[in-house]
Amino acid sequence: MAGSMLAASAPPAQPVVNRAAIQDSAVPPPAPRSPRNANYTISARLDPARRTITGTERLSWRNPAAVPATTLRFHLYYNAWRNTGSTWMRERALGATTRVDQRPLDDFGWIDVTSIGAEGTGGTTADLTSRARFIAPDDGNADDRTVMEVPVDTPIAPGQTITLQIAWTSRIPRTFARTGAVGNFFFIAQWFPKIGVLEDAGWNAHQFHSPTEFFADFGNYDVQLTVPEGWIVGATGVERDRRQGPDGTTTHHYYQEDVHDFAWTTSPDYLDQHALFEDAKLPRVDIRLLLQPEHVGQAERHFAAARATLKYYGEWFGPYPYTHLTVVDPAWQSSAGGMEYPTLLTAGSRWLAPRGTLSPEGVTIHEAGHQWWYGLVASNEFEHAWMDEGLNTFATARVIEQAFPRNDYVKRYFGDFVPWVFRGHPLTRQTDGDRMGPYRLSPKGDAQSTPTFRYWPATASVITYNKTALWLHTLERLLGWETVQRILSTYFSRWAFRHPAPQDFFAVVNEVSGRDLTWFFDQVYRGSTVFDYGVDTFRSEVSTVQGRVDGEQGPSPRGELKPSRVTTTVVVRRFGEGIFPVDVRVVFENQEEVRWHWDGQDRWKLFQVEKPVRASFVQVDPENVLLLDVNYTNNSATLQPQAKAAARKWSLLWLVWLQDHLLTYGFFV
Amino acid sequence: MKVTTAFRDGIRRVNGAPMVLVGMFSVTLLIALPLSYALRGMIATHFGPSLAADSAAAGANYDWWQEFSAQATGLGTTFVPSIVGFGAVLDNLSGLLDNLPVASTIAGVTAAWLVVWSFLSGGVIDRLARARRTRSLGFFGACGMHFWRLLRLGACGWLFYWILFTYLHGWIFTAWLPRLTRDVTAERTAFAVRLLGYAIFGVLVVVVNVVFDYARVRLVVEDRRGGIGALAAGIRFVARHAASVLGLYAVNAVAFLVLVTIYAVVATRAPGAGLSMWLTLAVAEGYILARHYLKLLFYASETAFFQGALAHAGYTAAPAVVWPDSPAAETIVNADPAALPERWR
Repeated sequence: MAGSMLAASAPPAQPVVNRAAIQDSAVPPPAPRSPRNANYTISARLDPARRTITGTERLSWRNPAAVPATTLRFHLYYNAWRNTGSTWMRERALGATTRVDQRPLDDFGWIDVTSIGAEGTGGTTADLTSRARFIAPDDGNADDRTVMEVPVDTPIAPGQTITLQIAWTSRIPRTFARTGAVGNFFFIAQWFPKIGVLEDAGWNAHQFHSPTEFFADFGNYDVQLTVPEGWIVGATGVERDRRQGPDGTTTHHYYQEDVHDFAWTTSPDYLDQHALFEDAKLPRVDIRLLLQPEHVGQAERHFAAARATLKYYGEWFGPYPYTHLTVVDPAWQSSAGGMEYPTLLTAGSRWLAPRGTLSPEGVTIHEAGHQWWYGLVASNEFEHAWMDEGLNTFATARVIEQAFPRNDYVKRYFGDFVPWVFRGHPLTRQTDGDRMGPYRLSPKGDAQSTPTFRYWPATASVITYNKTALWLHTLERLLGWETVQRILSTYFSRWAFRHPAPQDFFAVVNEVSGRDLTWFFDQVYRGSTVFDYGVDTFRSEVSTVQGRVDGEQGPSPRGELKPSRVTTTVVVRRFGEGIFPVDVRVVFENQEEVRWHWDGQDRWKLFQVEKPVRASFVQVDPENVLLLDVNYTNNSATLQPQAKAAARKWSLLWLVWLQDHLLTYGFFV
Repeated sequence: MKVTTAFRDGIRRVNGAPMVLVGMFSVTLLIALPLSYALRGMIATHFGPSLAADSAAAGANYDWWQEFSAQATGLGTTFVPSIVGFGAVLDNLSGLLDNLPVASTIAGVTAAWLVVWSFLSGGVIDRLARARRTRSLGFFGACGMHFWRLLRLGACGWLFYWILFTYLHGWIFTAWLPRLTRDVTAERTAFAVRLLGYAIFGVLVVVVNVVFDYARVRLVVEDRRGGIGALAAGIRFVARHAASVLGLYAVNAVAFLVLVTIYAVVATRAPGAGLSMWLTLAVAEGYILARHYLKLLFYASETAFFQGALAHAGYTAAPAVVWPDSPAAETIVNADPAALPERWR
């Protein structure tokens, strides 16, 4: 049972020392949860007026691969917005509906590494700055500066550690890709020179692409953030102490172990609120909410969503291992909402957020859920974004179904500001949570096995989020929730703090379910197959025999009714290319039903049965197991169709809309 | 004449012309019905024999709706979940205020309705101005007599509205507002600024609307032959009576807001296919009828106000003067000297 304590905290006196951190440091440190290959000590100063960050970092990196490293590769994500020639900008222009390349020059951002040194023995530092060069391993784009390669003097052997001193300056963009600033709201993510992941096959350090996110090794982050005095800071980890500067600044010291990224935010406007997650079976978590003043009435909704996530994800997949979670409610127009970082997430809400709709709950649950699928199970988002986004979309929808079942269709009017809730239009898990609608429009956007950064940008999210949620939900209906829950909890426990690949997930599915589901993944993952089963023919007629009928009185050259027998004929058809076993169910007028199982292989299948009564209706896949079926309307047929009644009703309601439309334009005459 | 007097007089005149109300309502219904019938066929075809129709008949089947939308073309693209209940009103008002393009599939019928309404408005204003029965001959005679003049006036009006909605709206809402709110981090502030934009735009649109309303009234009541002359007369009248004219407009606008608010309360969610559907439809058509009533009330109260501001303010329509004499001629002929201002006697 989750409980909460909600209170607005007063601005703390200076300096502040986090007691929890002290208590934590008094006990013996627990064994590392992660390999801690990349450990950062960062010091950064924000100049909000100039929108710049000046920073230094000390990176201790251990070679986790089986091969020596002769070079080091760093992500410089901020350079994605250096100019319109970057790969990110070019890709965004392909798939976006708004032109990012026409944004004002002041919007752009960048990062410049000013020095790189490798610490040697005896306190010496080898200057590597002049060796640094930009590379474009994915597309050879010479204008892209999001990956920097630095050769080292001596190859770094497997297991060996190198310590680097890096200094940089960066210009904070007007928000692109959920990082940046607007007014005095700053959300700073992907902001420091970050080392890539070295695998046995070499560096896995992709350029920043428009449709994809990130991939990094686990480590510890010890970060000092200097901001104007009085500004509230939220960040990955826990604040350990706070120091007043002589120049009207405050330095906030944050620390977090066993994470693979660090993000932070600052603004003078935040309302700082706190709640607890407590559950008899799960660890206690402090939830911190940095709330926009205009959303003050929505605090408990954020907390309820965060607690639901901690509860259900914790019970289903595994407990949240950290003691804290920070929910950031981003400023209006900041475009920073709906993003996940270790122990910190950006939610997103509207000033007018009617109850019974899922804003802000939906996005809070989704981003909090990423603590499991991304934060802990750290799959490669560049290459296999479905492994975190898709799994998490599926799980988000399931939590919403459990904790927030009331979810009505809402539309906003008058410049997209004023919401109106359509109480008669309840949204379902598969249409809203699994996002069937957009998937139906472009099911062939890409084969999911294509590396995500090579997806067509305009449909990348559909293939990543929607399709995965739909096929996982299909698996849930095929195998049962208990089995899928065991699959996901096994996968979580086996791969938390590691970097699984798709085959690792599929192996867990086959192992736990005890079934070889390769045929399924061949279609939904390795291909872009579209599924569509439907009823082709449905008849239920009194049986007759024509011709020379052999009766009790001998052969008779006439047609004859077979008394009290009705033949029901069903032809079901596979309209799509996808193959999936389906049930066919016929219900008769006396409520009796007949059910056949069809392997779904052939293009069509005939089923016939004789009964004393007529059939009422037939359904293919009556339980809608195959949620990827893009046309479920044709999955059923009835002998008493209500199409006319339904069409009459809806066309008359539409008639009112049209009359109102005409009268509205009557304003002009 | 006081604003409230004109408004009450307008109510009296509309109440005295129930057949005009029924007729205008019927015209709107008849123009909209064929498209509704066409949509009905599209929906029925998509359902086919499917069981999805059962749930769609009993309530709202959002899952099916998404499937329908995914394959819909033409008229079907306008069949969206937000057409139900009060959503229809918001959809249309918001669409107009935000200058959203009218779907091409209903643009034709919208234009046709506007032309038909322009044709009928001559007869309507004539009837409301006389405040007595004019019979079919008189009504349609006035329609025919004023049609081309009103159409010319309407074309002139459209030019003004086109400038307002294309250039001014674009400037306010796609250039000025985004610049003004670019660094605003509070949504309520951005909304307040947008409301300011609506207010600025609305005032200008209302001014044009009022001018053309009175131009239309003067064209019919004074049997003016030229649209431009009527427009000039409308401008002069509005300029001389600006406060009262805008006050009357505001009273009418409040009446509209009251009606819309009532409908927001009584409009129901998606009904079933039986009695509840007919009840929902009855309520909705009642609202549409009331919209027509308010539209006529706009005409009637403005006509009453204009006539009340004339020298022969106290004219009565009896005994009848046979069309094609204008309402003004009828007024003069029937003017009771006792009712005239003293200086006119």
